[in-house]
Amino acid sequence: MRSGARLATMSGMLNATREPAATSNGAAGPILVVDDLRVTFSRHGRVVHAVNGLSYQVRPGRTLAIIGESGSGKSVSVRALMGLLPPSAHIEGSARLDGTELVGLDDKSWRAVRGCQIAMVFQDPASSLNPTMSIGAQLIEAIRMHAPLKRREAAQKAIDLLKLVRLPSPEKRLKQFPHQLSGGMRQRVVIAIALSSDPKLLIADEATTALDVTTQAQIMELLVDIQERLGMAVIMISHDLSLAACYAHEVLVMYAGKAVEHAETRNLFSNVRMPYTKALLDAIPQLSTPAHLQPAIVGGHPPDLSALPEGCAFLPRCPSSTEQCRIEPHLAEHEPEHAYACWHPVSRDGSCTGQKEERP
Amino acid sequence: MSGATTTPAAEKRTRVTENGPAGEQPEGLRARLAGSPVLRLVGRRLMIVIPLLFVVSALVFLLMEALPGDPAQIRAGMDASEEEVEAVRQQMGLDRPGHERYLSWLGGALTGDLGSSVVSGRAVTTLLGERLPVTLQMAGMAFVLSIVISLPLALAAARRPGGLVDRFVMVCSMTLLAVPNFVMALLLVLVFAVGLGMLPAIGFVPLAEGVWPNMRSMILPVLSLAVPMACFYARFLRGDLVEQLNAAAYIDTARSKGTGPWRILWLHAFRNSSFGLLTLVGLNIGALVGGTVIIERIFAMPGMGTLMLEGVMSSDVAVVQTCVFIFAAAAVFANLLVDVMYAVLDPRVRYGSH
Ligand SMILES: Nc1ncnc2c1ncn2[C@@H]1O[C@H](COP(=O)(O)OP(=O)(O)OP(=O)(O)O)[C@@H](O)[C@H]1O
Ligand code: SF4
Ligand SMILES: [Mg+2]
Repeated sequence: MRSGARLATMSGMLNATREPAATSNGAAGPILVVDDLRVTFSRHGRVVHAVNGLSYQVRPGRTLAIIGESGSGKSVSVRALMGLLPPSAHIEGSARLDGTELVGLDDKSWRAVRGCQIAMVFQDPASSLNPTMSIGAQLIEAIRMHAPLKRREAAQKAIDLLKLVRLPSPEKRLKQFPHQLSGGMRQRVVIAIALSSDPKLLIADEATTALDVTTQAQIMELLVDIQERLGMAVIMISHDLSLAACYAHEVLVMYAGKAVEHAETRNLFSNVRMPYTKALLDAIPQLSTPAHLQPAIVGGHPPDLSALPEGCAFLPRCPSSTEQCRIEPHLAEHEPEHAYACWHPVSRDGSCTGQKEERP
Repeated sequence: MSGATTTPAAEKRTRVTENGPAGEQPEGLRARLAGSPVLRLVGRRLMIVIPLLFVVSALVFLLMEALPGDPAQIRAGMDASEEEVEAVRQQMGLDRPGHERYLSWLGGALTGDLGSSVVSGRAVTTLLGERLPVTLQMAGMAFVLSIVISLPLALAAARRPGGLVDRFVMVCSMTLLAVPNFVMALLLVLVFAVGLGMLPAIGFVPLAEGVWPNMRSMILPVLSLAVPMACFYARFLRGDLVEQLNAAAYIDTARSKGTGPWRILWLHAFRNSSFGLLTLVGLNIGALVGGTVIIERIFAMPGMGTLMLEGVMSSDVAVVQTCVFIFAAAAVFANLLVDVMYAVLDPRVRYGSH
């Protein structure tokens, strides 16, 4: 049903939007609080500002979708939460998981957080499993990393996990190797690994981008189902707005390392205010095309992250820009439950409210 | 010999697969062996290797023909008359056409008769029995040592790329790699034999005269062969490991499980880097064999290398032919072994791609 929405128009997509926090207690405090997160890379004297003051919160049982075109800093921002950035990355700001500050953790403390508290599912199931190790060995490694189980018990738990991710004939899979499984099956194994120690937060970094549309829907359904059963928080990163519209409770739009719009899914898609989000939405064709092609339809190029201008980063590409946009707009809740960073938000009917003449 | 080491493992692994229709294997040891991809691979390779060895033997024979020097003249003595040389030539069968001599040599070789040395008159098989163990011991020890040295160095260096250990290993290996093995041999002799007087400078003590004296005589030759190879392997493996750690997605998966850095290195990255290393080691076996010839000469080790060089000096065809053939066969079998190792190590080869 939800997958059917992939082929629908915007209004069809909205009907399929997840009800806000239908299964979780909306009163629960956030499990993850990201506050003014900044990540820079220094390369040959140039400083690349990959993430520039990102703030958001995620509550248990809720799914936050982070969307934005390639290079907007989605992956870097979540890899910072896992301590998976290379040593050349410089991280500032704060990210607290259940009260624990993640920025500046030492190697040893990271190992206690990774897998145990936060788990991650990566983009390409073809390469995110070790080709030389059996599925069982990789799963059991994850299980035993955080629980002192005997081999036999861990193997039983591995089978249970493979059942949880609905991989057919799980006993047999333990002895197989990644190349003997299809892409969708591999991604189920990666999800099983991620779930092995009941993480509080699951990050799916384009977990379905490399899969075909049917498998994509199956994997997303699986994630939703598991989330509803285990009550964890999920951050899903996607290029694909329709996927976010179908499966996320709230959506955060990133541009040049910043959040430019953040709202409940239904709210955001029925009332787009930020011109960049609108451009992304307009880029969605009626029929589903390969997800990675879509954001490219937004005109112009993403900004150079090593030489960001003053003011709004979207300015050079923005149809509504004015002189005022040379002063940086800050992300703020201009409307209840709806934050955006723009001086001239687009109005409800989709037209621009800027002083400039309207464009088609 | 390769079959003996790989069979049990291969057999166990095939039993374990049970995937799809291929998993429904008929009962019985023979069927299981036939179903083993590793054994099938060995079979396929042997089909190539055996004809290849015949070609090699023919090439070696041709090479001998082309060498200057007349064995009949040497056997008869330099001041022998024309007739005497001719008589010796006939007696040695050298007057017969080349293909006939090749076939009779081949027939002899297949029945364990490799002819006899023109110089000493002793059977080549007897000479092999004396010389082959020396070279095998030396090359074998150098082979194992080069890997034993390089693995920990590469792993330690890759643990923190650009760190102190890494830079130390890289600088040392670069320096030592620039030294050819015969220079290495002379340096080692200067330091350990001439300077410190700890080890014999040259000569070989057979194992029968005691393990320790034998080892003492082996240390310097083995080191001179192993150290340059170890530097080569360590640099290569370190580079490959760092690449895996930086670029491979499965490393991220392993890290996000909470796996520790050493375990990631040796269990995850090394397994994948080992294929590259294996290729390199396989390619290097030819160089190792060539290296033994020079090193045996420097250390006066009575091995295959010296036997061959003596043979060349005295146009001792039967001896040279056998030596060259054995060196070539060693390289061919080493590569066969590398292929089999691939199949044992890499599940993608072992089970075939789907
Ligand atoms: N190791 C690194 N060194 C230097 N710059 C980096 C590094 N990793 C990422 N970056 C830069 O950070 C920026 C953000 O990259 P990131 O991978 O987060 O983008 P993304 O939004 O995930 O894009 P995609 O949708 O293509 O995955 C990019 O401009 C990239 O060049
Ligand atoms: S602030 Fe100005 S340039 Fe930036 S998105 Fe809004 S209108 Fe466009
Ligand atoms: Mg990314």
